[in-house]
Amino acid sequence: MPSIVELTQSLVTGVGIGLIYGLIAIGFSVIYNASGIVNFAQGVFVMLGGMFAHSILTRYGLPIWLSAIIATILVAAVGVLVQIFVINPRWRRNAPLFAIILATLAVQLLIEQIVILTLGDQPRTYPEFTSGGPLKLGPIAIPYQLFWVLGVGAILVFALTQFFNRTPMGRALRACAQNREAAALLGIPVERMLIVAFALSAGLGAIAGILITPTQYTAYLIGTPFGINGFIAAIIGGFGSPVAGLVGGIFLGITQSEAIVFFGAGFRNIISLSLLLIVLMFFPKGLFGGFAKKA
Amino acid sequence: MAADTTNLLTVRDLAAHYGHIEALRPTSLNGGPGEFVTILGPNGAGKTTLLRAITRLIPSSGKVEFKGQDVTKFKTNELAGLGIIMVMEGRGLFSDMSVKENLQIGAYKLPGSQADKDRQLDKVFTLFPRLKERLTQTASSMSGGEQQMLAVGRALMADPKLLILDEPSLGLAPRVATEILSTLGSLNKEGLGILLVEQKAPLALKLAQRVYILSSGSVRAELPTHEIKSHHDLAKYYFA
Ligand SMILES: Nc1ncnc2c1ncn2[C@@H]1O[C@H](COP(=O)(O)OP(=O)(O)O)[C@@H](O)[C@H]1O
Ligand SMILES: [Mg+2]
Repeated sequence: MPSIVELTQSLVTGVGIGLIYGLIAIGFSVIYNASGIVNFAQGVFVMLGGMFAHSILTRYGLPIWLSAIIATILVAAVGVLVQIFVINPRWRRNAPLFAIILATLAVQLLIEQIVILTLGDQPRTYPEFTSGGPLKLGPIAIPYQLFWVLGVGAILVFALTQFFNRTPMGRALRACAQNREAAALLGIPVERMLIVAFALSAGLGAIAGILITPTQYTAYLIGTPFGINGFIAAIIGGFGSPVAGLVGGIFLGITQSEAIVFFGAGFRNIISLSLLLIVLMFFPKGLFGGFAKKA
Repeated sequence: MAADTTNLLTVRDLAAHYGHIEALRPTSLNGGPGEFVTILGPNGAGKTTLLRAITRLIPSSGKVEFKGQDVTKFKTNELAGLGIIMVMEGRGLFSDMSVKENLQIGAYKLPGSQADKDRQLDKVFTLFPRLKERLTQTASSMSGGEQQMLAVGRALMADPKLLILDEPSLGLAPRVATEILSTLGSLNKEGLGILLVEQKAPLALKLAQRVYILSSGSVRAELPTHEIKSHHDLAKYYFA
């Protein structure tokens, strides 16, 4: 039986990684809700966030906060390009959703190859945003980076909630999610909304990647595991509100890291996938389907 | 052919098909500014197809003009800015969103300040006071009649010049349907152009200045309403 200290420490780790999954989950939900598309290239945005931030940081010697902002904007721009060149042509021709979803998978592979050719296949990392740490609470160590993840996560979820509920553009995005034709009839440019959704979603993925890189590393291949875990978190959260996505992520993160303590690291994916199957079977609308609906 | 500037809406030889099914054969019709035009036709006649082609929700051949401007190449979302708003068959509400949010989104294309939007909202509340009592309720939690009022109210938030409605009285108790159609009548008296599609609604006939009969994908007759003395007269056009 693991000790209380071990369990608490893994809880801390789980919350940290779970917040990251949560941000990725929100990215999935934003696109899914506006279009019905599951964007399997979501993980690639996470990878690009870390890679771009690292390149800007090391090549131009800019401070981390500035590198982070520039990297986020660049990745959001990649999201826009994906929408314009890959999604929209198919969307306009009324291609079946599964064809579009497969196209996003192709985008993931394509971008990974481009990254290998241009930035290389070596893993890379950069220091935590605040040096020093970890914060010691008795035997429990809390890395400073976790506070950044918590703070940025909280601010983003608050900002997104305000955006979706209080701004015309946010409401228009939700309207597209609920009834695309009715939205168009009221003058909402549905295709442009989809571009906004991709930019937002890519930006969120990038921020997740930028935040997690110091505690792990980034490399061309991290997109897939982050994408899958973010997707599971989105399902747990019911593809609903930003809060639901974040809670879904934290739930998954904690479950994973406690599973590692109990069963060993090899069980991490087994646990996540089992959780996915259980949720799909018993809570097809997500664990928080109830409040997720209110967006 | 020269653009028709005397009409609000001009539809020329509009035709649409689903695969091999010719749901709408070349159809022409028009509506003047401030006119109340009703299109009657039995189930499956092609009424919804016609309205969806007019609002560019489905591809079609033929031509649609609004105030003399060819809008055939326009996207659906560009029509709202011109003043064309449609209340879809089945209402098309944002069902998980509140009454208030539905109305706010209705004003997406309403030009002007927040004060203008508030004034428009007050107008809608005057027409449908029940919406004001239900502001925070989700659209889906309301009765059918209230939902239809919301759908019409939401459309009015855009301050349209032409309001198109696809069977708004479908599934409603006669009393509620009458209430909604009468409201359309008073809006028309204030100058709003209305294109109303119904299967059978004596009131829709009474309110209209002109009626088209649509059956099996074609217009069978175009009549000023005073020529229709009773509902039974219509039957001969349906099956002509
Ligand atoms: N999406 C569709 N796919 C195939 N056929 C359709 C579709 N929508 C309507 N139809 C057919 O087109 C014809 C006209 O339908 P519709 O315009 O909905 O009639 P109405 O609104 O007058 O009841 C009907 O025969 C109907 O079965
Ligand atoms: Mg119909």
